Amino acid sequence: MKTVLVVDDEPTARIAMAARLKRLGYRVIEAVDGKSGLDALRRERPDLTILDWMMPDIDGPAFCERVRQDPELLTSQILMMTSHDQPEQIAEGLARGADDFLSKAASKYEIMARVQTGMRAASLIRRLEDVTEEIRRKQQMLERELQSAARYVESLLPVSGTIGPSVQMVCLYRPSLALGGDLFNIVSWSDDLLGLYLLDASGHGVSPALRSASLSTFLRRESLLRHIGSSDPGAILTEANKHFPLTENGHYFTIAFATLDVRCGTLSYATAGHNGALFHRRSGEVCWMAKPNLPLGFDPTTSYLTEELPVAPGDRLYLLSDGLYEVPNSNGDLWGQGRLEETIRRFGTCPLAEVVPGCVSEAIRWQGHEQFPDDVALMGVEVMDTDT
Amino acid sequence: MAMQTKERPVPNGVVLELSGDLTYANREQFKTAVEAIRQKGCRHLILNMADVRFVDSSGLGLLALVSQNFKLSQGKVSMLKPQSYVREIMSLANIQKLIPVYDNEQDALAGQQRAA
Repeated sequence: MKTVLVVDDEPTARIAMAARLKRLGYRVIEAVDGKSGLDALRRERPDLTILDWMMPDIDGPAFCERVRQDPELLTSQILMMTSHDQPEQIAEGLARGADDFLSKAASKYEIMARVQTGMRAASLIRRLEDVTEEIRRKQQMLERELQSAARYVESLLPVSGTIGPSVQMVCLYRPSLALGGDLFNIVSWSDDLLGLYLLDASGHGVSPALRSASLSTFLRRESLLRHIGSSDPGAILTEANKHFPLTENGHYFTIAFATLDVRCGTLSYATAGHNGALFHRRSGEVCWMAKPNLPLGFDPTTSYLTEELPVAPGDRLYLLSDGLYEVPNSNGDLWGQGRLEETIRRFGTCPLAEVVPGCVSEAIRWQGHEQFPDDVALMGVEVMDTDT
Repeated sequence: MAMQTKERPVPNGVVLELSGDLTYANREQFKTAVEAIRQKGCRHLILNMADVRFVDSSGLGLLALVSQNFKLSQGKVSMLKPQSYVREIMSLANIQKLIPVYDNEQDALAGQQRAA
């Protein structure tokens, strides 16, 4: 049953209105002044409030103002009663928060019509409130799911530290609110032979995180030995390309895969549509390693070629996602690969443990806030001097 | 920015005029327009990119998907006049290997004849 609150200090008028409303089938609550009216409104949350303009202490317009300032009550429907029906007065009442007016001289048909109009508005507002609440709850649920997927991805990542007798690795992962599909890891072929990769699944949400986890399972040591039988990056990406076609929505991976042979002093690598691979020699020379080529899944017949670089102690490899450098400042200008390269150059031979977080701090300084629009992943690897 | 599509028949193919951004937000619209053309039996889809300002990573995936789908139905996809920024994004992912890029419609249609 719909409830109406009648607030009027004058007993006769109040009782008469209450009786009328009861006859129309409403549940009626009566309040004898503004203060007890506000209490009743808070306590009972009626569908409609019929309010007298003239009352001591809190009059009708003051009542409305208080309701509109109270976040709990502000959507209440208020029908204000007045014996004056001057246009200026009606305008003032509406401006101070009433939804509609009812003359004290109104006929029973007009009262019925106005009350019904108020009820219609009230039920629309209620529905809107319910739907908003439902959306808020679902949004929260979605965010919790994304956070739990992000924690799962994090659990798959390697831990910074020594990853071979003379190889040090420092990494950093910052999932975005929407969660992208960045993932990186190490494949230990032997003490001296290490696979290093960083991949980025297109799209946002739980789905790219799942696809990334699936590709990283394919890239585990045992799986690679079974499917490819070699540590050759080009062969690995060529095979991965066949196993991970485009999804029906056109989603795919970009990836950089490198194999570091410490004993022979070589770094062999292949990339698939992934630009985030940078080599920094101890001498200071910096080069981006990727060549233009197709991401995984774009063409099942693609062969990915292995390139090779000599590696000496003190040289560093950085694998990273575009989320690190595709960050706009307030003018919309991207930080870009050039500025990232400059930052790495400036850090020179500072320890990796400073360079990796330092690059992320520079990107944050550029965009002016902490929250990256996309996932950020960065892995730095350094070959150490063996004789020290 | 939203995307507008307009198709125009040419000898042995259809030109799809695109304007706006080819991004994740506009994926359904792009897919629907292209799929409708493919299902009508079109063998050569020419995407006019002159009014496309931006292609994101999802957009690249869609282009690859369209090219694969046309190949499956014995068709092909070409691209006309991409803007320099879009051209740069596509060349990093080597898209022109899947979808040849032309500067005018005649060349795009001639490309089709050579291939046939």
